Amino acid sequence: MTRALRSGRRATPAGLALLGTACSASFGMPRGATEQGADIFRLWQIFFIAAIPVAGVVYGLIFWSVIRYRRRRSEDPDALGSQFRGNHRLELVYMGIPILIVIGLFAASATVEVRVDRVSADPDVVVNVEAYRWGWRFTYPGRGVTIVSPPSGEFVAGPQMVLPIGQTTRIVLTANDVIHAFWVPDFLYKHDAIPGRTFVFDLTPTRAGTFYGECAEFCGLNHAYMTFSVRVVQPTEFTLWLAQMRAGQAAA
Amino acid sequence: MSVTLERPVAAQPEEPPHRMGPVERLTSTDHKNVGILYCVTAFGFFLVGGALAGLMRVELAEPARQVVSTQAYNTMFTIHGTVMIFLFVAPFGIGLANYLIPLQIGAPDMAFPRLNLTSYWFFAGAGLLILLSGVASAGGGAAMGWYAYTPLSELRYSPGVGVDLWILGIVLVAISNVMGGVNILATVFLMRAPGMTMWRLPIFTWNMVVTAILGLVAFPPAVAAFALLFIDRRLGGHAFDPLGGGDPALYQHLFWFLGHPEVYILILPFFGIITEVIPVFSRKPLFGYLGLVLATMAIGALSMGVWAHHMFTTGVVSNPFFSAMSLLIAVPTGVKFFAWTGTMWKGKISFTVPMLFALGFLLNFLIGGVTGVMLASAPIDFHMNDSYFVVAHFHYTIMGGSVFAIFAGIYFWFPKMTGAMLRERLGRVVAVLLFVGFNLTFWPQFVLGLRGFPRRYVSYPPNIGFDTPNLVSTIGYAVMFSAMVVFLADVAVSLRRRVPAGDDPWGGNSLEWVTSSPPPEHNFDALPPIRSERPAFDLRHPELAP
Repeated sequence: MTRALRSGRRATPAGLALLGTACSASFGMPRGATEQGADIFRLWQIFFIAAIPVAGVVYGLIFWSVIRYRRRRSEDPDALGSQFRGNHRLELVYMGIPILIVIGLFAASATVEVRVDRVSADPDVVVNVEAYRWGWRFTYPGRGVTIVSPPSGEFVAGPQMVLPIGQTTRIVLTANDVIHAFWVPDFLYKHDAIPGRTFVFDLTPTRAGTFYGECAEFCGLNHAYMTFSVRVVQPTEFTLWLAQMRAGQAAA
Repeated sequence: MSVTLERPVAAQPEEPPHRMGPVERLTSTDHKNVGILYCVTAFGFFLVGGALAGLMRVELAEPARQVVSTQAYNTMFTIHGTVMIFLFVAPFGIGLANYLIPLQIGAPDMAFPRLNLTSYWFFAGAGLLILLSGVASAGGGAAMGWYAYTPLSELRYSPGVGVDLWILGIVLVAISNVMGGVNILATVFLMRAPGMTMWRLPIFTWNMVVTAILGLVAFPPAVAAFALLFIDRRLGGHAFDPLGGGDPALYQHLFWFLGHPEVYILILPFFGIITEVIPVFSRKPLFGYLGLVLATMAIGALSMGVWAHHMFTTGVVSNPFFSAMSLLIAVPTGVKFFAWTGTMWKGKISFTVPMLFALGFLLNFLIGGVTGVMLASAPIDFHMNDSYFVVAHFHYTIMGGSVFAIFAGIYFWFPKMTGAMLRERLGRVVAVLLFVGFNLTFWPQFVLGLRGFPRRYVSYPPNIGFDTPNLVSTIGYAVMFSAMVVFLADVAVSLRRRVPAGDDPWGGNSLEWVTSSPPPEHNFDALPPIRSERPAFDLRHPELAP
């Protein structure tokens, strides 16, 4: 009795620590370098943590049955197992619990989607992103700055988009030949670019650095080489960069 | 009126079965022959698709492009996907259905034997066209990916004749599926033996009924999509061409309206196999028969309403609706898992080769299911879509699930089909190698996807986290390859040096186990009384029969 209690007491902080680790673990996912990405990252944690007990229970039951109810070598090969055919109450339970779990997951998912899809009426920066076979054109409308892919069929440094940290950037996404997709893995976000349509979404970078980007929708021969990058800098540096680019492009 | 069958007292020495000549093989409308033709042809396509996968894995083992040209790589993943989905997994299910359904319901043949053979020939011809589409045109074959998104698949961007051959091939596959579906439904509804009520159907047959209905509903819209695409390409249409006022998103809706039920066409027959195998080797009746059949119907119904979860990142669909439907489909799938576990509970489980593959199925498919729930969340899919996470997910369901079930089925029914057992020891080696190789191949692909590796990339930049998982994945492929070598050796040895199977080597439950192996042309000389879903068991244990 005391021994059980003592081990129980020891188990509780250990369990809490484990739970704490689980809640801060990334489970292999980048943490999201934008506000929107951070929301998606937390949603991923919720889904993953919910998956652990589900998989644990199912695997546990499978392994338990396989080990506990294996036919021993000494037993007659034709020996029968218990011949019951079901249990309605149990069946209702294992139908009901998953329904509750998916309702919870749906609520979490739908809430995050509303936040990720929200578009500011008054963004700090606007970038027009045009995808084509096989490159990108980034235009800062009204600022006189355009960045275009060099032609490539190899991995070269693609065009670089520069964004200010902590400010809301509106991306206006179009494609002018086939379908492409704009994906920055560190932002945990991609959107298809479909010819004939214009899509708008917001990115609010929260971390400085250079992030790798790529086309995610198969678009023909050199799809794999349609890469780009996003450099996130302080707002003052961003203003300076814009001015330099504008001066350079005006001179050209 | 059923006739009671006397159980043979002792296993009689097997007569070598009647050997069919090649012409008879290719023209006999006997459902068992058509079933075997389907399965063998489909397995041949599996080897082709697997070889293509091997070339791709070798290419991806290291970052830079080394082995194949970019154009060839793009053709390979197009043909690999098309072959595995439309020419291997789905037709293998139809092949088994052809072989087993008449036996399981106590009928002498399928309802329409000639239609049956015709559907096989449509499938075989379609396969030839699709393989041809990969090699036939100058400058590379069909290289637009297995879902052939417009406008990429329009003439302007895919000028080769490869895409046209591919379209023709897929349309033939669709027609073949519709013919097969009609035949299966007619057979099950009209040709059951006396006593074989719908609620006594073996689960494999039940699942084929739902699969057939899915095919009948989902293929016709896809044929419309492919016909419109062909008109766009060759007859001046603009249905999907934005430059002519068409809509590429419309193609995606039509395609995935087939494409998603199709993934259930790729899994329900194999849920059926697992549900046949587990009770036999647990020496127990199925746990929750009615719940399981209702779950299959629920999966079939829900699968019609989830297609747009392939389109979460397109910005043209209502994500929350399709997200909710996709999450819900996890519930009936969970019911199946509990039914399988409940069947093993308090059983006497023996680890024969079919049972080992069934256990591999359970372990792999659960991961496929759990990751499917993650992908059903639209925001999570904003990151995962078109990444290797998706590739890993669907290989965990279709390869780790369906293909493991196919091997369970091969080891389970090969003795019935040929009269000879496959080697138990070699089979265990195949099961272990395949399980290890499979997980080694596809687990790293989850990691790749999370780190941002997109699918359909012929190469990748070094040192951004893509190198090691890709190398491990290629090593895993080599292990699976060795499993296939052992398997083919097992088949060759077992057919040459035959170990007679007898009528019922496993202690089976359904009617195919009360006739000889292989069964006579008319299937049954006499039928036992059918009082439950396991008449063969009731015959052996009259004291327990209802």
